[in-house]
Amino acid sequence: MIMKTTLKNWFTHQNKTGVLLILLLSVSFSGCDDFLEVDAPLGQIPHQEVFTDEATATAATTSLYGKLRDLVMVSGSNSGMGVLMGLYADELDFYGMPWDTAQTLYFHNVLATDPAVQSIWDNAYNLIYMCNAVLEGLENADQLPAEFKQHLRGEALFVRGLVHFYLVNLFGDIPYPKTTDYQSNGKIKKIPEAMVYDAILDDLSNAKGLLGDSYITGERTRANSWAVSALIARVYLYLGRWQEAEAESGRIINNASLFTLETELNNVFLKESRSAILQLKPQNPGSNSQEASTYIFDSPPPPFVALSSALVASMQPNDLRKTQWIGEVSDGSQSWYYAYKYKQQFNTGSSMEYSIVLRLAEQYLIRAEARANQNNIAGAQQDINAIRLRAGLDNTQANTPEQLRLAILQERRFELFAEHGHRWFDIRRFGMANEILSPIKTAWKPTDVLLPIPESDLLLNPNLAPQNPGY
Amino acid sequence: MKNNYRHRFALAVTFALLTYTSPIFSQNLPLKTISGTITDADGPLNGVNVLVKNTSRGSVSDLEGRYALLANSSDTLVFTYLGYKTQEVAVGSSRILNVNMQADATALDQVVINAGYYKVSDKERTGSIARMTAKEIENQPVNNPLEALQGRMAGVNIMATSGVPGGGFNVRIRGQNSIMAGNEPLYIIDGIPFDSQSLGSPLSSAGIIPVGAISPLNAINPASIESIEVLKDADATAIYGSRGANGVVLITTKKGKAGKTKFSFSSSTGIAHITQKRELLNTEQYLEMRREAFANDGITEYPEYAYDVNGRWNLNRYTDWQDVLIGHTANIHKVQGSVSGGSEGTRFLLTGMYQNETSVFPGSFNYDRITVNSSLQHKDRQDKFKLDFNAGYTLEDNFLPGSDLSDYAVSLAPNAPALYDTSGNLNWEDGTWNNPLAQFENKYKNKSNTLFTSLSLSYKLVEQLDVKLNSGYGASSLKDHVTAPHTAFNPAWGMTSANSMVTTNEGNKKYWILEPQLNWKQTWENGVLNILLGGTFQKQQFDQYGVYGIGFPTNSFITNLSAATTILVNNEVSTQYNTQSWFTRINYALKNKLFLNITGRRDGSSRFGSGNKYGNFGALGAAYVFSDDLNLDWLNFGKIRGSYGITGNDQIGDYQYLQTYTITGQPYDGNIGLQPARLYNPNFKWEENRKSEIALEMGFLKNKIALSVAYYNNRSSNQLINYSLPTTTGFSSILANLDAEVENKGWEFDLKMTPLQTENFKWTSSINLSLSKNKLLAFPGLETSAYANKYVIGESLYIVKLYKLKGVNPQTGLFEFEDYNNDGQLTGTDDREYVADLTPKYFGGFSNFLSYKNWELDIFFQFVKKKGYNQYRATEPVGTMANQSVSVLDRWQQPGDVANMQRFTTGADPDAYTAYYKFIQSNGIISDASFIRLKSLALAYTLSLGKASNTSCRLLLTGQNLLTITKFEGGDPEQMDGNLPPLTRLTFGFQLNL
Repeated sequence: MIMKTTLKNWFTHQNKTGVLLILLLSVSFSGCDDFLEVDAPLGQIPHQEVFTDEATATAATTSLYGKLRDLVMVSGSNSGMGVLMGLYADELDFYGMPWDTAQTLYFHNVLATDPAVQSIWDNAYNLIYMCNAVLEGLENADQLPAEFKQHLRGEALFVRGLVHFYLVNLFGDIPYPKTTDYQSNGKIKKIPEAMVYDAILDDLSNAKGLLGDSYITGERTRANSWAVSALIARVYLYLGRWQEAEAESGRIINNASLFTLETELNNVFLKESRSAILQLKPQNPGSNSQEASTYIFDSPPPPFVALSSALVASMQPNDLRKTQWIGEVSDGSQSWYYAYKYKQQFNTGSSMEYSIVLRLAEQYLIRAEARANQNNIAGAQQDINAIRLRAGLDNTQANTPEQLRLAILQERRFELFAEHGHRWFDIRRFGMANEILSPIKTAWKPTDVLLPIPESDLLLNPNLAPQNPGY
Repeated sequence: MKNNYRHRFALAVTFALLTYTSPIFSQNLPLKTISGTITDADGPLNGVNVLVKNTSRGSVSDLEGRYALLANSSDTLVFTYLGYKTQEVAVGSSRILNVNMQADATALDQVVINAGYYKVSDKERTGSIARMTAKEIENQPVNNPLEALQGRMAGVNIMATSGVPGGGFNVRIRGQNSIMAGNEPLYIIDGIPFDSQSLGSPLSSAGIIPVGAISPLNAINPASIESIEVLKDADATAIYGSRGANGVVLITTKKGKAGKTKFSFSSSTGIAHITQKRELLNTEQYLEMRREAFANDGITEYPEYAYDVNGRWNLNRYTDWQDVLIGHTANIHKVQGSVSGGSEGTRFLLTGMYQNETSVFPGSFNYDRITVNSSLQHKDRQDKFKLDFNAGYTLEDNFLPGSDLSDYAVSLAPNAPALYDTSGNLNWEDGTWNNPLAQFENKYKNKSNTLFTSLSLSYKLVEQLDVKLNSGYGASSLKDHVTAPHTAFNPAWGMTSANSMVTTNEGNKKYWILEPQLNWKQTWENGVLNILLGGTFQKQQFDQYGVYGIGFPTNSFITNLSAATTILVNNEVSTQYNTQSWFTRINYALKNKLFLNITGRRDGSSRFGSGNKYGNFGALGAAYVFSDDLNLDWLNFGKIRGSYGITGNDQIGDYQYLQTYTITGQPYDGNIGLQPARLYNPNFKWEENRKSEIALEMGFLKNKIALSVAYYNNRSSNQLINYSLPTTTGFSSILANLDAEVENKGWEFDLKMTPLQTENFKWTSSINLSLSKNKLLAFPGLETSAYANKYVIGESLYIVKLYKLKGVNPQTGLFEFEDYNNDGQLTGTDDREYVADLTPKYFGGFSNFLSYKNWELDIFFQFVKKKGYNQYRATEPVGTMANQSVSVLDRWQQPGDVANMQRFTTGADPDAYTAYYKFIQSNGIISDASFIRLKSLALAYTLSLGKASNTSCRLLLTGQNLLTITKFEGGDPEQMDGNLPPLTRLTFGFQLNL
């Protein structure tokens, strides 16, 4: 009662400040339900919206290649197989700083906690997650045209297969996640190598069926059925399924309207190269391959890695690959060599070189090896000679399957050096890693044929046990 | 003239008041005007309340200490003033009553504590609130107010993350509550929350400032602070609801005082350098180590890359890289001026400060800061309307090297080549090393400005009811960049300015807040009831934009983005954070000795998905002042208090509940880069923190000794965990609530003493001590979780699980470790079972303040008992191309040797190499890192100038981190992450008061 009269009294005093405050108060106290609603954060797109629009669905898919280019397995950067497994094998020598993580691979001081190995693993599975996110997103993308979705699905399957192919060759038995569900992926079991290969082939043959024969943008920067075939051929080769490997590589070699061996070595790595089956486009207009900036150096001694002088010395002096694909730097008394396949270290007006993931010469060598293993001596020689001829060399003298196998291993070493760690994977599958590396790597152990499963993952998911031997 | 006017004005006010309230006069005796002057030891005292006892008639003394009111001869006048003893004087026949007020330092009910939404006298306080005032802050030559708090308050543990200017601090109030979400307290400046999240981006600043955490609190000039209160228990923090779990730090800036306009000018200058160096191998010892390592590994011909031993580098050269890279002396200059004053109705203060500080790195790096603070208070004549406005504006310029060289300083080979060649260019020694000074070609620069304002309007509607509107607006921005010119790279790469790069970042933050409040106060004969009702509406907008610019015509254009050939956006963030809350406080005081305090808050936050946006928090606190009932001679004050309540924690970042794709700066083939942002969980909720506390506060011997003992127990549940996942999930973690529970409990002791007090000499002393224990109580599924190897139930969150070092095998010369499961193998999963607890066991401070005539001496020691990472943490195997501590010399050399360090290796011996990596994951890297530090020392002399008592000059010599006593060998025991340690500072200055 008192309060009421006081208030009344007060209002008749016409106290302006008080009235103002009361008004402000009542406005504020009324609150609003929307107050806690916030706009979607800038730079982020809700997951479901990405796959309602062709442009964003395409971007989610092409980002898979972006990730390959910058970080994962076939990257020309120092996190790609080219550098890391080149150092691990007898292809590259390490000159970087002691704290560079690549050093442990070079010296074979790899522990289960190795940061370089950890990042190979982490980046690979992150990319696999991205593939699965695209596949799941497309699953429910009713607004997108069927043909469009089919192509993107094929590309995601191809990338998923490609990454697993490298993983299985690095780590042996591995898990094969096919969903984005973290609960099941967190407890996922690893499966035997053979089953991983089955899954890879399954993904690749699905991809091949989904992708057309033409390059969707005109440039060779997104996978089509040919790119998938090239990878399938390699998978069959690694599995020793010679007949299938021969058929698959033959399919590409025979498509001369699309693919021919560039006769001029200096043209092989240009972006217009007709021997390229799949290329990764640099990030920006005018920029060039990551390989060039990783490998090339101007003055001695090498700042990071150099080609092993043993490799350079074992090439014939008249091998054009030695003169055109290898650069030399000397301080007067000593020389160092670098891979000079890609020549554009810096930006050019428009990009001149793209990183090549798959190229025709490898298909020749795949078919040669498949033929040699099926006792097709002449066929094998013919394929090797196609490569040797271009390098200005004579025909091969090898004429038994065993000689041919070794000749092919040697030819692959000279043709494919500094490309995605081919050398390591070759000596490994030939069962010759021990023989070749134990004399030159003091810390070499026969168990080094597999990298360790990163310890942090093993600790988190006991289903990944056991650790690979030797770690 | 002026004085007369004021006098008359005061009288007029008094009469106006009396006239207004005249209807309630009911006395029979004739009223007469009583007037007089109120003084204290220093002269007239303004603002003293004068009340005719048992009536509502009263007055307030004016600037000259004068008052006047009407009373009759049987009345008694009661004079009260904060911090002074209350006096009662009978009127009798006098018409003039002059009163001399006695300062009462011991009057607890006169010390008013800021509790955020309300104020409470120390006596009536039911919650746990620690306090520090300007006097202690001003004596410390620090840049960041948090540094001034180090060691000063029980339960508040503050550790510097880096000694570079602009670096941040880890603040833990009563331990770590959250396993993964933020553990930062809530900062409130003049009633307005001050977001302590950094505007920096790790992309540009992580090299020099750890994790890019540029502390926004650097914008607060410590000298502008009147007091800092830290709210610790539920009773004090529950009113902050979801933001109270980690404690609340209330910063109150200085206000003007009514009276003569005062001018003050101060200036100081000083030096700073790192607290201590590590003892490392010299060239001779280093080369001995290297040669022995090669010999041990059976390598006779030094490889080409072993530049340090194979003769490519001078074998006789010696450089103390700590001296060269982080051992320079920084210069500090600071000037400050202020003007303050005002009348009874309106008071003001304006302060400006400029500071310049160079760095301990080589080169001309420096940190500049300008701060301006203003404050305005006004009240109307009837004391009904009140306005309080505060604003601060700070400009900071920070110029630093692109990265912290502390790590290089301890790991570079002592015979590594000279930094510059004979022609003054960076020396690359033919590309055989990474010249550390190349890092100095990378330069980091930031410019930031911070504005924070608060405005509070209140109006007394009726005697019992106040309405109040608190409002605040703040805007801050930070622009920084780090350059990477091509000259920072080994020339062997053949780079040109076309490869030079700059990384920029720009962060902006804006917020406003409105907090309408109603405060009802009802007084009865035996009790006082206070009810506070309020609401909070806050919006915060955060924007960040960063680009890389690559390729410049020449390096002189490197900061000029328009000259870059390529510009790439590396991040573009815009987030909002809104909260909407209601809060209340109900406080009842019975007979001024029993106090009950109930607080509650309903919080809504945009950080959570629909259905989980709101949470309720609250607490109950009570206090009983038993000394009033006991009436003991030796015990002049005794209080027991306790509280229990629930607070929350929402420090999990914005938008974490959304499943999104993020645009990345890595386009492909003409399409933008898009990546899934994270694994998402739409269901997560608030963390809950249940706090309980019981405390005893006592004052003995007329409060010459005051002791406070508190026991607390806080339990955090519903933990938001960035649940580590195997990366086969695509990511390394996901955010989820887990039924895990973390307990922090401990004892806090505070002892304040005045051992001696005479007319000329005064000595006060205080000790605070915190014993704390952190414990993981529950963690369902820990064994199979990502944390299986990180945490142990029943142990603290600060543990590390390690191999247990058994020592060096005298036969093999290799480290050996405990094989816990006896399977003959050492595996991370099974044999890292040694638990090292890095929780500080106890910490505190010991402070002494002595004054003799015009001299003052303030000495403060900080002490911490803890374990920490020693000099071996994250080192390369001993014998590789990296310098080591001298302690490695106690090594195994031949069979039979008993040594602490295993045989040296270059890394080529796989057994030694593997054993060393096990060693740096073993308890061999843990040592006692306890320390006692002379944290601050201040010596001041005050010179009285002229007749006017307020004119003085104060000379001040201060030091910070002057001396550290420790057995620790791994560098500074406070900072063990390899960043620049905190600095020792020594400054001299004067302050002129006019």
